[in-house]
Amino acid sequence: MSGAPLVSVSGLRVRYPERRRWRGTGDRAPAAVEDVSFEIARGTTLALVGESGCGKTTTARALLRLIEPDSGEVRFDGADLLALHGEALRRHRRRMQIVFQDPFTSLNPRLSVGEAIAEGLQAHALADGEAARARVAHVLTEVELSEGDAARYPHELSGGQRQRVAIARALALDPEFLVLDEAVSALDVTTQARVLALFSRLTAMRGLTVLFIAHNLAVVQQVADWVAVMYRGRIVERASAERLFSAPRHPYTQALLSAVPVPDPAVRPHRTVLPDEAVAGPPPAGGCPFFPRCPHPSKDAACLAGHPPLADVGAEQHVACVKGL
Amino acid sequence: MNAVLDVRNLDVTYAGGHRAVHDVSFAMAPGEMVGLVGESGSGKSTLGLAVMRLLGTRARIAISSRVSLEGRELLDLDEREMCAVRGRLMSMVFQEPAAALNPVMRVGDQIAEVVRLHGERSRGAALERAIAMMERAGVPQPGRRAFAYPHELSGGLRQRVMIAMALVLQPAVIIADEPTSALDVTVQAQILELLLQLQRESGTAVLLITHDLGIVAEACSRALVMRAGALVEAAPVDQLFRAPAHPYTAELLRAVPRIRKSA
Repeated sequence: MSGAPLVSVSGLRVRYPERRRWRGTGDRAPAAVEDVSFEIARGTTLALVGESGCGKTTTARALLRLIEPDSGEVRFDGADLLALHGEALRRHRRRMQIVFQDPFTSLNPRLSVGEAIAEGLQAHALADGEAARARVAHVLTEVELSEGDAARYPHELSGGQRQRVAIARALALDPEFLVLDEAVSALDVTTQARVLALFSRLTAMRGLTVLFIAHNLAVVQQVADWVAVMYRGRIVERASAERLFSAPRHPYTQALLSAVPVPDPAVRPHRTVLPDEAVAGPPPAGGCPFFPRCPHPSKDAACLAGHPPLADVGAEQHVACVKGL
Repeated sequence: MNAVLDVRNLDVTYAGGHRAVHDVSFAMAPGEMVGLVGESGSGKSTLGLAVMRLLGTRARIAISSRVSLEGRELLDLDEREMCAVRGRLMSMVFQEPAAALNPVMRVGDQIAEVVRLHGERSRGAALERAIAMMERAGVPQPGRRAFAYPHELSGGLRQRVMIAMALVLQPAVIIADEPTSALDVTVQAQILELLLQLQRESGTAVLLITHDLGIVAEACSRALVMRAGALVEAAPVDQLFRAPAHPYTAELLRAVPRIRKSA
């Protein structure tokens, strides 16, 4: 990637505490995120895609230090985030904001829109009183709401309006880096289209660096410069959005793309239907995690020799598959 | 048309005055898969529940509304008669199988319960039919999985169990309310394929309620578009996607994100 990265993650690993069962010895919980590395250049958008439970949200939370990673390195604008504590960490937090999926639960129902947006400003001692009010009014117009909406409460707003408030709340702190965790997934398509258009305008205008987490690949293609595909806690393919959608190399990426329903009855897509994870069985220890479900015709013992490393296949495309090379 | 399900002037008002479904009429031919699309709050789920008579006392269906299933007028039936219809002549698949299945009952018994409620006396025979249906619904090792509780199954397998339960008595109509929306995209592809295959095999008509126009394009022959409680367009799928007649349909089609293969 060109330009100095604003965010760089290497060897990130997160393991949730062991699950205790009512009876028996309990499962040794597998790592939720294992050996995840990527960089996001200033002003670009990286999308993290994958199915539920693949570790995309855990990755984002660990990188913001909303949960503590077990190991790895996270650099933000050169600073080692995992080494920061107290006031120094707080100062960096202002520069990194997150918007969650569900605007029905992410906004405090007892705070008016204005109070919710001003809360961050006060917490970081950026503005108070009249200055805070002016800032709130400004970000509200930036997300295409009106100044008057500051007095309203979340229950008076539609889903799309609430998500605009959540975005305004993040933008009020003037962040450089924004994590959007399934930020448009709960919205209806017509609302989604409008909020996506708003994102594009805002990221271009403010030069924002974005980590965009989503499971909808069609949405990802609209917003991302780069895409990383996760499967069972690992990145299995990473490439520019253009490469990933035109020439996916990992069999999982290919299956994921082929599974998306095409809104055109004239197109009968060729579909690779993967077997259910519960049916295919658990992945072999130490081998490729996708092996049991993999539709690749020439998969063999070489796939089980070890975790396929994320290897460069040219044109800045990285693939973790011994057959996809 | 020799309709299996005929809905005329369906009008539903919730207690509190919200008119959720507004004079909707449509008919379905036997074995047809019809998509019912619309955004949240458009009334599509209310319509499905009204046809199943599952709205209870919180909603009122207008006296002029008519719902006939194989020529039988459902809105005139009392609850006991309606119970004989649900599951046997018409059944429903819900979005969230984890919420729709009984968490403290083995899945095989839940399917067998449907069979027994509709006349099968023998417990063993009912369970056998349940297991056979689970096999048709693509549940691997159905003889073993029949004894599993819902939480022991993956989301995809739970939805297969729901579909087995809906189809076990070979009803004439299934109403599937967002049957794949809670599932991951690769699992969604499996479930959609299964629904299509079973629908072809058994000749059941399916009303597929969804917000995903991609699913409608792939699975349905006709589509109904709802907005704010009213049916704004009904057309064969090819025509609807090629030349939407209603501006709202056109807006929906424009808003759907699509994957472009070559960027």
